[in-house]
Amino acid sequence: MIRIAFDFKQQLDGTIGGEMHSYCFQCGACVGDCPAARYSERFNPRRILLEAITGHTENLLGDDSVLWECTNCYNCYERCPQDVRPVEVIMALKNICTQRKTSPDKVTHMVDAVARAGCTVMKTSAAQRMREELELPPLPAPGVDDLKKIIEP
Amino acid sequence: MSENRQYIPFYGCMISLKYPQFEAAVRRTAPSLGMELIDIEGFTCCPDPIYFKSSDKMNWLTVAARNLCLAEKRGLDLITLCSGCTATLLETRHLLSSDAGLRSRVNKRLAKIGMTFKGSSRVRHIVTVLRDDVGFERIARTVSRPLENIRVAIHYGCHLLKPSRIMQVDDPDSPTILEQLVNLTGAEAIEHEEKLLCCGKACENPDIPPHMTFDVMRSVDKLNVDCMCLICPTCFDEYDLGQLKLSRLFNTKIEIPVLYYFQLLGLAQGIPPEKLGLSRHKIKATELVEKIGALAAVS
Repeated sequence: MIRIAFDFKQQLDGTIGGEMHSYCFQCGACVGDCPAARYSERFNPRRILLEAITGHTENLLGDDSVLWECTNCYNCYERCPQDVRPVEVIMALKNICTQRKTSPDKVTHMVDAVARAGCTVMKTSAAQRMREELELPPLPAPGVDDLKKIIEP
Repeated sequence: MSENRQYIPFYGCMISLKYPQFEAAVRRTAPSLGMELIDIEGFTCCPDPIYFKSSDKMNWLTVAARNLCLAEKRGLDLITLCSGCTATLLETRHLLSSDAGLRSRVNKRLAKIGMTFKGSSRVRHIVTVLRDDVGFERIARTVSRPLENIRVAIHYGCHLLKPSRIMQVDDPDSPTILEQLVNLTGAEAIEHEEKLLCCGKACENPDIPPHMTFDVMRSVDKLNVDCMCLICPTCFDEYDLGQLKLSRLFNTKIEIPVLYYFQLLGLAQGIPPEKLGLSRHKIKATELVEKIGALAAVS
């Protein structure tokens, strides 16, 4: 018998995008049109939602989680008859991974880059030169000082 | 529309710094379309709808809302050139407009920098501005060098179309907006089997995206096209540089130039290829440029 892990479900419900997970009735509409499921043997959005419904997501929240194989294409969001928005539930689970420090390094690097420079691509001299060659105006200064005040750890 | 209309362009990190040729193509094609682009200071990364959003959605919404506030302050609509920026800014605007609780949480943070999200400026992907404001007739009138006998495979990418109830651009299962825009240049838009497949760039399993790229490129390669046309810099990454990777991984030789829509339109408007940055692409468009009779060669 499966015991529902209500504490976790409550946490997921309180994470933006996770609110609708309980409405999944396991129809599998999200799977048929999922590119990650087409190319990966282990990625299955219906399966991820089953774990979310029961609250037993231990397998999803560790290092090297299958969650990161999601291509973020939003086909499941289109197909879901229950308006669960599986991709957003997956995103909410990723937010929980980040709290647990199991997200890929890329995630923290990206946030650091934005907080530090306002930008995810480095403003190298080569990039500036490329812009000059195309006769593009200099880049305006990004509002980095503001970001320090509004991004919370 | 006969007079000019003003918009605030949101170029985004990838286009400004990695593929500035797309920015150049938009800046050069816009004047004849009656689009006046008003550059403003202070934008940051949209922020990125995959990794930044994966970190913390509250931070993601707040940084995005700050960008929206800058446009609201100027009282103009924001136009996006990148599908990722479109996803972030449109979803944020949608969520904050429809969820008062979330809006007040975000506004509480924005108060620290003296800003409030109101939702007064719209966010629009630039191709929808072409269709809905400029209009097909006016676009056709800007074409001075019709791209006759040029066959163009369209690739949509995901975030222009989905989630459709937020994006409200076109039918996500059978979109036609890009075909219509390509046909206006005098070229012939060609459908390929995998035209709606995701580019796969966001998938963190390194074995998967190359297979996705391979399937798309094989589907395009069968159709004897002169180039591929898209509107997303992330898709461009996968299909331009991506073709070089395919040749190593699968010992294949597919070489199809990939153009951002405004580069194609620019060629049709008679803009020299070098002003559209075509030489920056990994897969050179030399044959295409010769075929349409644009004299300056692509180096």
